[in-house]
Amino acid sequence: MSLTSAAYVARRAAQREKVRTLYRRALKDTLNWAVHRHLFYDDAANLRDRFEQNKHVEDPDTIDRLIVDAEASYNKWRHPDPYIVPWAPGGSKFTRNPPPPEGIEIIYDYGREDNN
Amino acid sequence: MQSMKKSILSHVNLRRSTERWFLAKDINVLMHLRGWCSSTGASSDPILGQVIRLVKKYDRIDAEKDTFMQVTETADFQKDLSLDSLDRAELIMALEEEFSLEIPDEKADKLTCCKDVAKYIASEADQKL
Repeated sequence: MSLTSAAYVARRAAQREKVRTLYRRALKDTLNWAVHRHLFYDDAANLRDRFEQNKHVEDPDTIDRLIVDAEASYNKWRHPDPYIVPWAPGGSKFTRNPPPPEGIEIIYDYGREDNN
Repeated sequence: MQSMKKSILSHVNLRRSTERWFLAKDINVLMHLRGWCSSTGASSDPILGQVIRLVKKYDRIDAEKDTFMQVTETADFQKDLSLDSLDRAELIMALEEEFSLEIPDEKADKLTCCKDVAKYIASEADQKL
């Protein structure tokens, strides 16, 4: 009995984490689709409502089905060109100005090179 | 003549430098850190202040209620501020936008209080420089 209840708890925890990350990703995607900030607020509220609708579902199998459905719809509506923070991997400034490798010394003597 | 020129120049220089100083004070905290602290490690205190200010502005933390006063550096978002996990996701996203960071999903899941967030942001800023 305790084994099954432990398994149940673990399953529910995994489901919770899945839903959390799914919500996070979906929210970011909502921002990608929104052209203006005021459009994003409505879309985000709608998304939140869709998650809140199934807040009190207890049956693990139903939850699994809901998660699969939600991920399918997330994948269907995923933005083809999402916003990436400039410094993050894939961003426009990623590794644009990397630090020089170890052991390389920079000598600042512009215009005075001949005097060395 | 020479001395007049010198005095005028020094006056102008002084004004320019004070202007720059005021500008530097107004600038966003993180930009400040990006600009000035390339050699020293970024201290997390101004960041922490900004994080707390932003968390207080979050609309599910009501200024009328007691939770507003409870926003401190170690208050747990879920237990102490009575936000649920989805609220926390929204809050973390707002923080990401504020500091223009990208926090990976598994890390974002572990940030539970303002201090955690500030520490993470400071470590990111260190890496970026």
